Amino acid sequence: MDKAIQRQRVLLDHLQPISSSSNFSSQTHQSTDLSASLCFAKNSSHGQIGGSDDDVVIVAAYRTAICKAKRGGFKDTLPDDLLATVLKAVIEKTNVNPAEVGDIVVGTVLAPGSDRGIECRMAAFYAGFPETVPLRTVNRQCSSGLQAVSDVAAYIKAGFYEIGIGAGLESMTVDRVNRLRNINPKVETFAEARDCLLPMGITSENVAQRYGVTRLEQDQAAVESHQRAAAATAAGKFKEEIIPVSTKFVDPKTGVEKKIVVSVDDGIRPNTNLVDLAKLKPAFQKDGTTTAGNASQISDGAAAVLLMKRRVAVQKGLPILGIFRSFAAVGVDPAVMGVGPAVAIPAAVKSVGLELGNIDLFEINEAFASQYVYCLKKLGLDPRKVNVNGGAIALGHPLGVTGARCVATLLNEMKRRGKDCRYGVISMCIGSGMGAAAVFERGDF
Amino acid sequence: MPVFKTPFNGYSVKFSPFYENRLAVATAQNFGILGNGRLHVLDLSADPSLPIGELAAYDTADGIYDVSWSESHDSIVIAAVADGSVKLYDLALPPTSNPIRSFQEHTREVHSADYNPVRRDSFLSSSWDDTVKLWTLDRPTSVRTFKEHAYCVYSAVWNPRHADVFASASGDCTLRVWDVREPGSTMILPGHEFEILACDWNKYDECVIATASVDKRFPLVCLNGHGYAVRKVKFSPHVRNLMVSCSYDMTVCVWDFMVEDALVSRYDHHTEFAVGVDMSVLVEGLMASTGWDELVYVWQHGTDPRAP
Repeated sequence: MDKAIQRQRVLLDHLQPISSSSNFSSQTHQSTDLSASLCFAKNSSHGQIGGSDDDVVIVAAYRTAICKAKRGGFKDTLPDDLLATVLKAVIEKTNVNPAEVGDIVVGTVLAPGSDRGIECRMAAFYAGFPETVPLRTVNRQCSSGLQAVSDVAAYIKAGFYEIGIGAGLESMTVDRVNRLRNINPKVETFAEARDCLLPMGITSENVAQRYGVTRLEQDQAAVESHQRAAAATAAGKFKEEIIPVSTKFVDPKTGVEKKIVVSVDDGIRPNTNLVDLAKLKPAFQKDGTTTAGNASQISDGAAAVLLMKRRVAVQKGLPILGIFRSFAAVGVDPAVMGVGPAVAIPAAVKSVGLELGNIDLFEINEAFASQYVYCLKKLGLDPRKVNVNGGAIALGHPLGVTGARCVATLLNEMKRRGKDCRYGVISMCIGSGMGAAAVFERGDF
Repeated sequence: MPVFKTPFNGYSVKFSPFYENRLAVATAQNFGILGNGRLHVLDLSADPSLPIGELAAYDTADGIYDVSWSESHDSIVIAAVADGSVKLYDLALPPTSNPIRSFQEHTREVHSADYNPVRRDSFLSSSWDDTVKLWTLDRPTSVRTFKEHAYCVYSAVWNPRHADVFASASGDCTLRVWDVREPGSTMILPGHEFEILACDWNKYDECVIATASVDKRFPLVCLNGHGYAVRKVKFSPHVRNLMVSCSYDMTVCVWDFMVEDALVSRYDHHTEFAVGVDMSVLVEGLMASTGWDELVYVWQHGTDPRAP
C-alpha cells in the first residue's frame, strides 16, 4: 500500500496547476545543479570516429618480456636499454615524429631517484628523441607505471600538450628493496607510520589472517595464474604487445658472453600444481600462508604507452587502441596494503559514471595471492573477467612497470574480444597503504 | 474507426515497425497505482469498419507503463513494468514461454522503453529510480546505467539518426542528451519549470527535440493548447513540422510548430486522461491513442476517431 501511495503522489504531481510554481520549486526532488555542455550528436553525422575530440586515447602500448631478476634473460641488461627499446617502439610503430612528444613520464621505484631520472633521460636519447623532449620519473610504488600513464593523460586533458608517453622501468636485478636507513623514533607512537615499515610479505599475511584467505585459495590462484599465462603465451597472445630486446647474456658458470634476443616472459611455470606448491614453506612468517610460489616474482622489464588527444590521432590516421576514462588513487591501512584495489576500483569506476557490472575485463596486480583473492571476493568479480592471461604471480612484477604493462595487456585483450568488451579496469595495491585503479574503454566501440 | 476495449487503463500504444496493421498496448489496473498489468498485441482489419482483433495478451503482476517493439525482430516486444522489471515477449512463442526474459535491475517503476532504431541491437529503459539503463537482447544485465537525473526519468528516446545518442526527460525538470560513448550527459537543458514527462526527436532535423511537461508546454516553440500536463509527445515520421501530443486534459493534439497558429487538430475522443499516442511509420497519417478510459483508438489524421 506504501507503493500505491507513492505512485499516486508521483502521478498527482503531474496535475500540478501552474499557479503553485513557488510551492513546486521548494520540493526536494528539484535539481538545482544544472549545466550545459557540448552536444556531440552532430559529430557522427560528419563521418568522424565517435566520441569526443578531446578524449585522451591510447594509440600504442608495448612492453618488453618480463624476466626473472638476477637469473632471467635481462640479468645482464642495463636498465636504460630496456626503456630505450619500448620508447623506440611506440614511436617507430606509429611513425609519430618524436619531436612532437610533449613529455615522457616513467614509473620506476627502486633505483635512487636522481640516478634513475638521468638514466631514463639517456634512454630517450638512445631511442631517438631529441633534446627538446623532456622526461621525468614518478614513484607511487607498485602503481608507478599506471601513475605515469594517468599523469600523461591528465596533462593532455589539461591542455599542456597533446601527445605524451607514459612508461615504466624496473630492474630488480640491479636494485633491491632496502629498509629505510634512518627511522624516525616517532614511529613508536604512530601505529600507521610504523606499519609503513612492514615488509610487503607481512602485509600479505595480515590480509590472509584478517580476511580469512586460506593457503589453498592462494595456491589455487597461483596455479591459475601460471596456467593462464602459459596458455596465452602458447596462443601467441603476447606477441602483439612484446617488443623483442637484443641484449647480452653472461653464462653464470663459464662467464661467456653471448648475444640473445629476449621476446618471451621467462617466469612462467606451466607445470605449477597444488601438490608442489603445498610443499613450499611460508616465506615471511612461521605458520604463515604466503610462499614464494603464491607471491609475485621479482623481475626486470619495461613498458611504454603512447597517449594523445583523439583529434590528433584522427588527424594522423592512427588506430585507437583504447580511451583513458578515469583514474583513482586511494589510501588504506598500511598493515593490509593489499586491499588497495578493493577500494580503488569502485572509486575509479564510480568517477566515470559506471558500475562494477559494466566492467568487462580487469587486470588486478597479483602482488600476493592473498590480496588478489581477497579483492575478487570483496568486489564480487567474476574470475573469468580478471587476469585472463595470467598475472604477476606467473609473469612477474617489475614494480614500476606493471601498471604500464597492464595497459598493453588489457587493451590488446579488449581488442581481441571486440564487441563483447567495452570497459576495462587496471588496479594494484601499493606499499605503505594505497590502491590505484584506472578505467579504459575499447577504442573502436 | 477501429476501437478496442482493454480491461485495464491504457498507458502506451506503439505501432509495429514491421506490420502496418499491428500495434502493442501497455495497460495497468487501477490507473497504474495498484494491481496487475496486461500487454495487448492488436491486429487491425483491412476494413476499418471491422473490429480490432487481439493477437496476443500477456498478464503481468504489476502495471505496464510502456511498450516498445524490437527493431530487429518482428515478433519481439519490450514491456516497461511498474515492479521495476523490463520484460521481453516473443509473439512467435506460446504464452507459456513468455516472457522470454525479465530484467530486474531498476529499483523502482520502469516508465519507458525504447528500442534503438539505427543500430537495432539495444534498447533503453527509464525509471522512477532516477536512472536510464542500456540493454541488449543477449545480455542478462544492463550494459550501462545513466544516473544523473535527480528524480523520476519518464522518457528516454533514441535519436533517429545517430546510433549512440539519446535524450531523457525527467521530473527533475531537465532534458538531458547523452552519447553512450561518453561517461556523462553531453547536454543538459532546463527547458521547463516543472517536471518533463516526455520527449521526442524530430525525424528530419537533428537539432529539434520536443519536450512535454507538467506546465503544459513545449519550450522550443512554446505551444500552448493543452489544459493540463502533457503526457506524451511524438514527431511525425513523415512530415518534418508535424507533431502529436496527448494530455491529462483528455485530448490528443496535432501541431505544426512552424506555423504561428500551431494547433492543427484537437481530438477529444478520450473520456479520461489520454496517456499514450503514436503515429505509424508505415502508413502516413495513421494514428493511435490510448487512455485511462480503457480504450484504444486508431484513426486517420483528419478524420473523427469515434466515427463508426
